[in-house]
Amino acid sequence: MSDYLLEIKDVSKFFHGLVAIDDLSMKVKKGQIYGIIGPNGAGKTTLFNCITGLYTPEKGEIIWEGKKINGIAPYKIAELGILRTFQTIRLFSEMSVAENIMSGRHIKSNQKWYNGIIHTPSMKKDEKKNWLKVGELMDFFELSKYATTPAGDLSYGLQRRIEMARALAAEPKLLILDEPAAGLNENETIKLAQTIRKVRDQGVTILMIEHDMDMVMSLCEYITVINFGAKISEGEPSFVQDDPVVIEAYIGSDEDE
Amino acid sequence: MDIFLQQLINGLTVGSLYALVALGYTMVYGVMKLINFAHGDLVALSAFAGLTIYVEIFGEGKNSLFVVLSVFVITALIIAFVGVLLERLAYRPLRTAPRLSAVVSALGASLVIQNSIMLIWGPNMKIFPSNLFPSTIWTLHGVVFTFTQVMIMGISALLMVGLYIFINKTKMGTAIRATAIDQDAAKLMGINVNRVIMTIFIIGSALGAVAGLFIGINYRGITFDMGWMYGLNAFVAAIMGGIGNIPGAMLGGILLGLFNAMISGYISSEWAETFTFVLLVVILIFRPTGILGETIAEKV
Amino acid sequence: MRQSYKIAIVFLIVMGFFPLFSNSSWLAVGTTFLIYSVVAFSQDIILGRAGAFQMGHALFFGLGAYATAILNVHFGVPIIYTFIPAILIPLIMAIVLAGPIIHLKGDYLLVATIGFNIIFIQVIQNDVFGLTGGPNGIFGIDVVRIFGVEFMSQTAIYYMSFILLTLTLLIMRNLDASKYGRAMFYINKDDIAAQSMGINVRYYKLYAFALGSAIAGAAGSMFAIQYSAVSPEAFNVVQSIMFFTIVLVGGSASLPGVLIGTFVMFVLPEIFREFATARYLVFGLAMILTMILRPRGIWPVKFGNIPNYLKKDTK
Repeated sequence: MSDYLLEIKDVSKFFHGLVAIDDLSMKVKKGQIYGIIGPNGAGKTTLFNCITGLYTPEKGEIIWEGKKINGIAPYKIAELGILRTFQTIRLFSEMSVAENIMSGRHIKSNQKWYNGIIHTPSMKKDEKKNWLKVGELMDFFELSKYATTPAGDLSYGLQRRIEMARALAAEPKLLILDEPAAGLNENETIKLAQTIRKVRDQGVTILMIEHDMDMVMSLCEYITVINFGAKISEGEPSFVQDDPVVIEAYIGSDEDE
Repeated sequence: MDIFLQQLINGLTVGSLYALVALGYTMVYGVMKLINFAHGDLVALSAFAGLTIYVEIFGEGKNSLFVVLSVFVITALIIAFVGVLLERLAYRPLRTAPRLSAVVSALGASLVIQNSIMLIWGPNMKIFPSNLFPSTIWTLHGVVFTFTQVMIMGISALLMVGLYIFINKTKMGTAIRATAIDQDAAKLMGINVNRVIMTIFIIGSALGAVAGLFIGINYRGITFDMGWMYGLNAFVAAIMGGIGNIPGAMLGGILLGLFNAMISGYISSEWAETFTFVLLVVILIFRPTGILGETIAEKV
Repeated sequence: MRQSYKIAIVFLIVMGFFPLFSNSSWLAVGTTFLIYSVVAFSQDIILGRAGAFQMGHALFFGLGAYATAILNVHFGVPIIYTFIPAILIPLIMAIVLAGPIIHLKGDYLLVATIGFNIIFIQVIQNDVFGLTGGPNGIFGIDVVRIFGVEFMSQTAIYYMSFILLTLTLLIMRNLDASKYGRAMFYINKDDIAAQSMGINVRYYKLYAFALGSAIAGAAGSMFAIQYSAVSPEAFNVVQSIMFFTIVLVGGSASLPGVLIGTFVMFVLPEIFREFATARYLVFGLAMILTMILRPRGIWPVKFGNIPNYLKKDTK
């Protein structure tokens, strides 16, 4: 088995004949914090949607632990250990924070079909175990005091934390973060970086899209730069930072950071 | 072959009526994402209102072009007004509410209109006079078709072409299409969404009113609850064509009318609805958003 | 939702003593109210919890009723044994019918389920297998007998319905506190997020359909016992629309809401029977007004039903 957890091989995705991802390849090592950067509309989120099964790429292969996974339903991808957050926060906003995080325990719960109707002792044990795990995550993300508050009533920063806690509740091997620092203030961003490092130290591989360059450059160990759906550069932060192609892409486009 | 041609004529007649009513459903759905369950009852109301206007204002027996035209125009205006009122009172307050709340409100509005008809005109069937249109009948190779049928097909076709031009060539039509795609963006572009919605209710209700009058003239017996049956068929037609899609509603209406006529002609009218819904489910299994409906990947 | 359990208990106590203070005609209304509440809860599983726009629920209610009626009247099966097929047949039919269309988006599913209901009515009206009695339905359904004891009084049937509702409420409680019940809420609130958390949307929607239909079937069987007859109009689309409305007017996924909805939509019209002709007009106006004033229903659901040991320092 290769030492790569996730491999993207020559993947292309089209929308109505327009190319969104163009022959993209990249490899994520186990235990890495891997960053993807690029101007808005470069196809970064589309790539995440391909990896998590929401889109099926027209061309190429997505390989997870040595097995091809493109075309597999999103819920099966999650069962494989790939969990994500969303750029446009997607919480179950009327439900409480605890219930939101509990959704991450879904794949770890072993309740049977009849447990929806009749509760058994083993089911109650399973239920308690999963709620306690939710409690742990609420402590870790400092969300405990909002346990019963509807997620939709909370601030942007808190919602981003709930999304991350929800994904981590599923004990993923790979955590995909789509612009985790968007909308956060400076303090929150620093704290987020610390949290991401802690999560990685617990053995979770991280793949993230982020526009906050300071954060990406200090946090990520390897970076791929995408523009117009194609890879234009890759390497360690110090290399990418000085790559003239990258500078050109950022200055050439009129996007702010 | 005779049965086939005869049912073709009958099917096109019913299909034209379904299409006219389906347009009302599809336009409202396109812009508001709401099934206007009260639309069928507006069609029924039109038949009753038209009958009263004809008998009370012009007097039975008069059938000059002026009288017939006046009945159609006055009725269409009244129904359009009721349609606008319906939107103002039952739907506008719910525009930001959960989608299903508006559905319940629409069901409530349907009950209100249906029972108002019953309270005003009574629970029994009313009969349309037979002489509003000339009773001319043509026979061609054993196939019979009436003046009324020709009028229904002809006028419906004209109205649909007119609507198509309006939607695609005028400024208001462009505003309607833009609002259907993205209401918020349309608002930002300076489109008056309230006016767009009002226009849609005026056009949809007026088309439904024409259909209601045709139903009265062609089938003659009208009942307070007939809107349900026509409404449901027309709604199914709109779904088959791809709800929200204007050519889809026309196509779906004609298709369903023909299909119904063929089933009645060759199999049995007792099972008409069963076949209708089997056809619908089969279409939806293969085309989950209808024949002309576009599958737009949800933005994530 | 803890609070809603208390309400449920108070409700059950009140309903448990209701026969002591009621004459037989009100007892019949009470029985029908209990049965319709069960159907409303079963509709709520599919519509209010899983969020599938089911507008043909009377079909499954009817399947249960007709299963009991046909097996008893045509085949002489004792009522008590007809309960099992009256639950299993709707359950299986729900999976067979909803399976191919469960992926349809909201309104498309709604019209397809209306279609199933209409087909069902045509099948029983046209008396396809000579079993359904056509438009007249089936008469002369036997009374319940257990070990030779006949349960034929209105009070006995009332308490059987009472037991059925109690069981249904227990199932609702268990569902709420399980992986299955929560999965339904997740797919209802955001199906894309739910899938990304590893939830098989299709499976849980079908589970909701199967469970809801099975419970509706049991209620149908009780309905057949209460009226000792079944006929098509008790199970047509108008009834389906009523169950649909009950849930939304009362409050989706809300236990007190569904009970209030059933009361408002079913018992109130019984009380206002004298105003026969105008009552549906008022009814329609009330539906519009309720939705405008309370878009999430009269008694909306409250989330946050989590174990006490997690509520350490909640504010």
